[in-house]
Amino acid sequence: MSSLAPRSRAARWTALGLALLILLPSLWGFGTKFAELVDLARGQGEGTFAVSPVVNYLLASLGFLLLFGWAAVNGMFHDVERPKLLLLEREQMLDAKE
Amino acid sequence: MTHTAWAEATGSDRDLVDRRLVAWYFVAALVYLGFSLLGGLLMALQLVRANPLQGIELLSPGRWRMIHTNAVAYGFLANSFLGALHWAIPRLTLRPVLSRWFSWFIFAAWQVVVLATAGGILLGHAQGLEWGETPTWIDPLALAGLLLVAVNFLAPITAARGPLYVSSWYFMAAFVWTLLTYAMGNFLPEYFVPGTSGGAIAGLFIHDLVGLFVTPLGWGLMYYFVPILLKKPIWSHGLSLVGFWGLAFFYPLNGIHHFLYTPIPMFLQYGAVIATVAVELVVATVLVNFFGTVWGAGRLALANLPLRWFYTGMVLYFITCFQCALQVTLTFQAVIHFTDWVVGHAHLVMFGVFSMWIFGIMTHLFPRLLDRPWYSNRLAEWHFWASTVGIVVMFTDLGLAGMFQGYYWAALLPWEASVDGSYPFWLVRLLAGLVIIFGQLCFVVNLVATWRNRGHV
Repeated sequence: MSSLAPRSRAARWTALGLALLILLPSLWGFGTKFAELVDLARGQGEGTFAVSPVVNYLLASLGFLLLFGWAAVNGMFHDVERPKLLLLEREQMLDAKE
Repeated sequence: MTHTAWAEATGSDRDLVDRRLVAWYFVAALVYLGFSLLGGLLMALQLVRANPLQGIELLSPGRWRMIHTNAVAYGFLANSFLGALHWAIPRLTLRPVLSRWFSWFIFAAWQVVVLATAGGILLGHAQGLEWGETPTWIDPLALAGLLLVAVNFLAPITAARGPLYVSSWYFMAAFVWTLLTYAMGNFLPEYFVPGTSGGAIAGLFIHDLVGLFVTPLGWGLMYYFVPILLKKPIWSHGLSLVGFWGLAFFYPLNGIHHFLYTPIPMFLQYGAVIATVAVELVVATVLVNFFGTVWGAGRLALANLPLRWFYTGMVLYFITCFQCALQVTLTFQAVIHFTDWVVGHAHLVMFGVFSMWIFGIMTHLFPRLLDRPWYSNRLAEWHFWASTVGIVVMFTDLGLAGMFQGYYWAALLPWEASVDGSYPFWLVRLLAGLVIIFGQLCFVVNLVATWRNRGHV
């Protein structure tokens, strides 16, 4: 166990570093594009037509972000390979009952 | 109740699955497939100037074309999926759907919706929305039907405890997405968001119908049936979840790529292009997973006909997605926009992928539903080979036709020159379509003979 601890700490820092490396530029890119969209919608009447598809997309993604968070909090990603084995067990059981 | 406890408490899966309903959904699907193929055949005859219904307004080619596409989406695919879900979800969750009576009511109501849509289209009441031509007075009924479907199937899925299998994630998402997509496409442009913005939403609608209705149900069913038939678990359940969440976050913006080179702002068009390429990466994870699963069992996948349907569909899925990553670029679009290339792509997705998966599911399930083997294995093989050869020839032919048409137009030749140049391709398309129809006739003859129990050959 003790030999695993430093490795898992290193893995955590690597994951955090990679996450920052990917997320920060992505957030910056998304933020500037979103600001452009808001400017477009405010600045010219015709620009508003760009808003509805983007809002549709953002609402759908927000919904899935919340679902993702709920799934993570409720342990849906613990023992992540177990459901695939359970599927086959259940099928075998059902077929045996037939 | 654990699944072991359930097994002790009940007799068999017949308490879970209403097999008669599954069979009737499949029969209804095949009837609509027949109408769809007839519509496609008439449209192909029209293109080679041999339309037998010339001059009859009610049966004009434009209307038959809409019957062709709507019968595939709402008649064939929707009924097939609903039938397969009535088998898969109760067995997956070990819980029956909310109510059997409710299921039969939905079955009847959905047939009314599909038939009313066909009638409305033939009478000239179609909406100006591609793949959403359903007359406006049917839209609220269809939406209510989709809501009932969601309630009926979500009951057993949400009652299940513990981490969900990936199919359950796909099914749950599909029920919500289909409802929202249908509402978005059939209400926003018509009543609230007119003009170019409505056009952008129409683009989202047509593509989301593929990606958020057909795709999640198709993949969910593949994740259910493939491991069962191979008798080995999916290669990586973790990777399958990456595929699901990738689809959830990247897919919804894709549809605007239908409207490249339009007045829609360029940043939206570029966003759609990038999101589409991102989805191709997600698709790669799914395909790696399925081919990782079949690794070492390739002979079984070739010998077992349902598995052969599934994996042929997956190979064609890879081709269609690879094609998508290329054709979505502005450079490629400059040549193929509005040409038969797009028609070939659509046929490859709808017939070459999802219909093939459904045929595989039907080939696997009908003997179990009817408690007897197929009447003729040879007819089942003919069904597979005629469908596969027909769709590959049609897709290749239409792809080539599209390239020729694009370059004819780019060279600013007269429109008639592109029509004359397309004629040989349209003849080949007609022949390929006839081969596909022959394959489906083999399937129907085989099914009728099996149903009548004439004995196994």
